[in-house]
Amino acid sequence: MTRLRTLDLSALPAGNVSYQHPLWWGQLFLAFTEGSVFCILIAMYFYIRLSMDVWPPPGVQLPQTLLPTVCTVLLILSCAGSYIASEGAKKDDRTRVLLGLLLNVVLATAAMVLRLVALRQWNFSWRTTAYGSINWAILFLHTVDVIADLLFTVVLILIFAVGRHGPKQRIGVHVDSVVWYFLVLIWIPLYVITAWGPWITGGSG
Amino acid sequence: MIAPAEPPLRELDDQRQHEVLDRVWAHKPGLSGWFSVTTHQAIGMRYIVTAFLFLLAGGVEALLMRLQLARADNHFLSPDKYNQIFTTHGTTMMFLFAVPVMEGMGVYLVPLMVGTRNVAFPRLNAFGYWMYVIGGLFLYAALFVNSGPDAGWFAYPPLSGPQYSPGKRVDVWAQMITFTEISAMCVAAELAATILKMRAPGMTLNRIPMFCWGMLIQSFMVLFAMPAVMVASTVMLLTDRTIGTHFVNPAAGGDPLLYQHVFWFFGHPEVYIIFIPALGMVSSILETNCRRGIFGYIAMVMSLVATAFIGFGLWVHHMFATGLPQIGEAYFTASSMMIAIASGVQIFCWIATIWSGRIRFTASVHFVLGFVFIFVMGGMTGVMLAAIPIDLQVHDTYFVVAHFHYVLIGGALFPLFGGFHHWFPKMTGRMLDETLAKISFWILFVGFNLTFFPMHILGLKGMPRRVYTYPGEMGWDPGNRLATVGAFLIAIGGMVFIANVLRSRRLGAVAGRNPWYAGTLEWVASSPPANYNFEFLPVATGRYPLWAAHEDRTVVTGLNNTRREVLVTTLMDAAPCFRYILPGSSIWPFVTSLLLSIGLIGSIFQFWWYYVSMGLGIIGFVGWFWPRTKEPSR
Repeated sequence: MTRLRTLDLSALPAGNVSYQHPLWWGQLFLAFTEGSVFCILIAMYFYIRLSMDVWPPPGVQLPQTLLPTVCTVLLILSCAGSYIASEGAKKDDRTRVLLGLLLNVVLATAAMVLRLVALRQWNFSWRTTAYGSINWAILFLHTVDVIADLLFTVVLILIFAVGRHGPKQRIGVHVDSVVWYFLVLIWIPLYVITAWGPWITGGSG
Repeated sequence: MIAPAEPPLRELDDQRQHEVLDRVWAHKPGLSGWFSVTTHQAIGMRYIVTAFLFLLAGGVEALLMRLQLARADNHFLSPDKYNQIFTTHGTTMMFLFAVPVMEGMGVYLVPLMVGTRNVAFPRLNAFGYWMYVIGGLFLYAALFVNSGPDAGWFAYPPLSGPQYSPGKRVDVWAQMITFTEISAMCVAAELAATILKMRAPGMTLNRIPMFCWGMLIQSFMVLFAMPAVMVASTVMLLTDRTIGTHFVNPAAGGDPLLYQHVFWFFGHPEVYIIFIPALGMVSSILETNCRRGIFGYIAMVMSLVATAFIGFGLWVHHMFATGLPQIGEAYFTASSMMIAIASGVQIFCWIATIWSGRIRFTASVHFVLGFVFIFVMGGMTGVMLAAIPIDLQVHDTYFVVAHFHYVLIGGALFPLFGGFHHWFPKMTGRMLDETLAKISFWILFVGFNLTFFPMHILGLKGMPRRVYTYPGEMGWDPGNRLATVGAFLIAIGGMVFIANVLRSRRLGAVAGRNPWYAGTLEWVASSPPANYNFEFLPVATGRYPLWAAHEDRTVVTGLNNTRREVLVTTLMDAAPCFRYILPGSSIWPFVTSLLLSIGLIGSIFQFWWYYVSMGLGIIGFVGWFWPRTKEPSR
């Protein structure tokens, strides 16, 4: 037995769905890391631009802008789904979570399909000079991130659909929305660079 | 609201509390249980032991190199073997020893120091450890089948590119980086979240122990710097080698210098990633053994933060010899010199702490004082190298080798040994033998200087680094012979240290909870700590809660101890926020790391193995996250 001063915290809630949760912070930190990757890729894009005389290189057509723009708009709209789901998770409202996540997945999948169509229109590969390499690297890494998050979202939908969700899954939905906002936000400069970069910084010399 | 002004005194049954917690936090039995462990003490200890094994391997490689260089025109090692060995030595020491051992100390100590029961993400912690182990084994497996990387630890193209390094050696290096970086980022995210959100109630920002500040700042550096090396090694180098991209091919618009920029944007902060936790250890050791709080706490923290920021603005000083524009180089000279200011603040605060305290010359303090001496030497040659004219003269010579060994061994290894001696009683429950420890210190200290000081002179005499031998008429024999003798002295010092650890672990004096009369929370726990750390979570009543009067000590009650429950507090003031249920043991982190590794290792042969990695990884993560039972909402 020991005699000590005590601070009784039995009245505190167990679990929480907000930015106070360590998982929210952990996810934010991983977003820092991914953001750092993309910032380095952006810097590399301009470095390579400076070391090449003709941009895009001869034989490579200027990028299409319509499809990537539609794709970007769809991605931005898909954030609404994430928002609805994460608000639903805060209020423990299963229907809103499911609706929000489904809306997010449908819009994001549509965006990815458009992105694949747009990629097929590129008349260059990653082997077509460093121009091809950097453009493909940006698109590939962002697409992998998006698909990984979509798969995670599908798993969340399954968990909620079969009714095995609890506080851990609710914070999962909230944190998933943070990842999604990040992926969409970081896409905007990447979109500007890959779709408009050669129009803006192109030419020879 | 943190606490009522006068929390009530109560009789607490710690024996009963121990029985309940012990059951909830127990490891699963058997071999699969061993792979399922997620408690931070076990994972932290595994990190430390594994990293020390890699230190031994790296040390053996160093001895082989010193034997080869002991005399001119030696043929003990072939040039090819020598290349593999120096590359593996550097890679091991940086990626498999220095960073992981600091992470391991952090994983072990941070939850104890901030007064909680585990790290914020225990399964991520286990996953990171397994990724590290697999990455390390991958490198050594390659070395043993004569496919060890051979293009230096930074693998500069064009040497490391597809044209000049055919075969799989460089690919092994590039993908090994991925493993260790994933591991480092897992630890960084979980430690930053633990320090920011799981501190004991009352541990406001200006009460965080110095070592935790070090780990927090280091974690942020890892998050921002490590991605750069992954971009350099996998996006640029590996894809250039495997699928024909042109990032480093100047004939197709790429640029080998771009690789250097991206690599050193990681590589320079890397030095501080290793060094900043060590600074935290030094402060913790000194304040305990000088029996006073650290002098200039806020100045110390600010200078750590400043070091981290400036550390990101120095990378070009590794590239002074590449012919960059002079105006740019001048900027990097200035920032390289600026970092000496932040380091100087630290040194002066330590001196003031020693001066105004009553110092106890324990073995750990010996290592700290050794650190101050060696690190100041390394810092001074650093300022010399920041001057471009000197750098151009001694670039890629043994002067640089001497400099960075002074900085890294002096700046990180000596504090680490100090920290290890300091916290060994906490980790094992036994005291190290102080006499043996001091003997090992003196052998290491003399051996270190004997090995590396002559290298300054060899460098000034023009001996280039990374040559497997040299002709007799260069006059480099005496310096090299001294260095070889010194290297074996270091090995002897290391053996004395190991003998001391092995002996003291079983036969050392019983330590008790707080053998050094330290002030921070890790010394409240039993030695070694139970899986749950504290019978009752502590409240931080000051910067040094254990130096407060016993009647003022406060603990938390009211948590549900029939599950792994901890406390989440607010970021700035550490006011209690909610109760957080941590996940228990699980084999899935281990399984997931194995599944991911299959694809990552395959990817050095064919790109499509990345898709395999992703597919298998998803299976692992679903197994990891799928809820086993429906969760109760309260």
